[in-house]
Amino acid sequence: MKTAFKNSFIYKNPSVLIFLSALAILTIGMTILSEGFGVGLVSTSFIKILGKTLCFCLIAIAMDLVWGYCGILSLGHFAFFGLGGYMVGMWLMFARTKDIVINSMVNAPLPPTPNEIRDAVGSQIFGVVGGSEIPMIWMFADSLLIQLLLVILVPGLLAFVFGYLAFRSRVTGVYLSILTQAMTLALSLYLFQNDSGLRGNNGLSGLQNIPGLTEVSQDIISVWFLWASAIALGLGYIIANWLISGKFGSVVRAIRDDETRVRYLGYTVEIYKLLVFVITAIIAAIAGALYYPQAGIINPAEIAPIASIYLAVWVAIGGRGRIYGAVIGAASVTLISSWFTGGQIPNISLGFYTIKWIDWWLVILGFGFVAITLYAPSGLGGLFDRLVRKQVNEESK
Amino acid sequence: MQEASLLELEGVSVSFDGFKAINNLSFQIGSAELRAIIGPNGAGKTTMMDIITGKTKPDNGSVLYGTPAKSLLRLSESQIARIGIGRKFQRPTVFENQSVFDNFLMALKKSRSPLDVLFYRLENTDLERVKVLAEEVGLHEQLERTSGELSHGQKQWLEIGMLLAQDPKVLLVDEPAAGMTPQERMHTTNILKKAAQTRAVVVVEHDMEFVRRLECRVTVLHEGSVLAEGSIDHVTNDESVIDVYLGR
Repeated sequence: MKTAFKNSFIYKNPSVLIFLSALAILTIGMTILSEGFGVGLVSTSFIKILGKTLCFCLIAIAMDLVWGYCGILSLGHFAFFGLGGYMVGMWLMFARTKDIVINSMVNAPLPPTPNEIRDAVGSQIFGVVGGSEIPMIWMFADSLLIQLLLVILVPGLLAFVFGYLAFRSRVTGVYLSILTQAMTLALSLYLFQNDSGLRGNNGLSGLQNIPGLTEVSQDIISVWFLWASAIALGLGYIIANWLISGKFGSVVRAIRDDETRVRYLGYTVEIYKLLVFVITAIIAAIAGALYYPQAGIINPAEIAPIASIYLAVWVAIGGRGRIYGAVIGAASVTLISSWFTGGQIPNISLGFYTIKWIDWWLVILGFGFVAITLYAPSGLGGLFDRLVRKQVNEESK
Repeated sequence: MQEASLLELEGVSVSFDGFKAINNLSFQIGSAELRAIIGPNGAGKTTMMDIITGKTKPDNGSVLYGTPAKSLLRLSESQIARIGIGRKFQRPTVFENQSVFDNFLMALKKSRSPLDVLFYRLENTDLERVKVLAEEVGLHEQLERTSGELSHGQKQWLEIGMLLAQDPKVLLVDEPAAGMTPQERMHTTNILKKAAQTRAVVVVEHDMEFVRRLECRVTVLHEGSVLAEGSIDHVTNDESVIDVYLGR
């Protein structure tokens, strides 16, 4: 009985229980304090910031898996995050526009034909880029189910093709990082074009309005999305720990440390890397699909190369190679960032110069990154480890 | 004497930027044989191992393995490892962040497919097998330790143990005794001799004393081809060997 417990997943990964409890307390607590369901002490916009932060934590977990555990420094995972957002955004925008169009035609003398509705929806959505035709890639936009499947399939397929070509050619290290940057840059540049079929630099907007739920206030919807993000993050945390705790995790870490040696053990390293790359791309895409309905808008600038570099910074600050480290890093940096850039703290006027926190935040982040690299190379998560170890040592004395 | 060979290189040549690292090399080894390979630096010992294990593709020649003989030239490193050729590198390369046990477990002969690995659960037979192997190489009391904490000699044994865990038919061992104390060398000699009772073991070594203690056939490489082959006394008395290697 005792050994059965010792072999159990929870025993081997004590952080899972702690993490899930903390996440549950946060989510329930925020619901009680929210405007939509509780006493209204916490504003809806803060609930949205929290929900979005949880999505960032989820993609940080993906980044930690691919970089911290498998040693692939991907600087392109935000491409998958953005694609996930676009896929769900297409349904949100299409279905909502269609509802609006149908409503506006209700009073017409003749009921509108499907073609008329389609044309009206097309000119509503694509008017900004000078078109009214609905592009081919929107053929499933009317179906939530298919678009949700595409959230997984499209980024998954891109990751598969990219990873297959890169890993098969044994591209590693900094060369692979550059390739992933090129991938996200190319995708971003493509989406910037007006004829990309995804509204060019306008992107998709109004995503916070959920079709069919126009009567429900954002106060309520924001809490729903907070819950959805928290559940996704919790599941992601469990899956990540499951992946890395067994023999698979052993092999993946071995690939990070000495790829050649793993090959001579008989493991096909490329397949393992590809699998990790695709799984993490899908996790990133799911995070994106939950993020953009809370952000309300997605445009190609979101998947510019810099976004994926930030992702690596979060994980480095949090401490790579520990899943909770990634979460701590992403949460602390994004929350502090939104505090600095959200206008909560007043600018400081020195007479000859005004310190604007929006500008200086990046400088602070830069110094913070350098300080952590120098003084806490294993990141904030590493500091946490040290505290726990100290306690264990004291107990054993 | 002339039993069918398990591994056979025939007329193998490879050059890097015009330099002939291996020049028309032919080499055979039987299925339960211990063989030492010696030769001065640059004789092509490591390149030969690279060719057998699929890291380097030769310009011409053939590499055949097993019965019925199968060419290794079209296989990848991991495929070659899976069909039974294990390799130990000169520098001990174990996974230092992981426990000795996890190192063994990864090497243990089991399905290498990602899904099987993902859903792998530790079975008692595997546990026993790891314990037996650890006992064999003298690491049974170190299983829980992080392998980075092991001494140099212990790392070498761990790596040899991992090779044995793969249960290969051919073991290629590059300088197993480098940096070991005399006692550790003795232990290593015994491990290798025992392993060679059931499989082919090829040992590359500089140290003549160590080679002498292996009591096996010796192949002398020079400038990418075989210079002499036979017992240790035979090759050490060979004029050409003395010229290029021993009589420096």
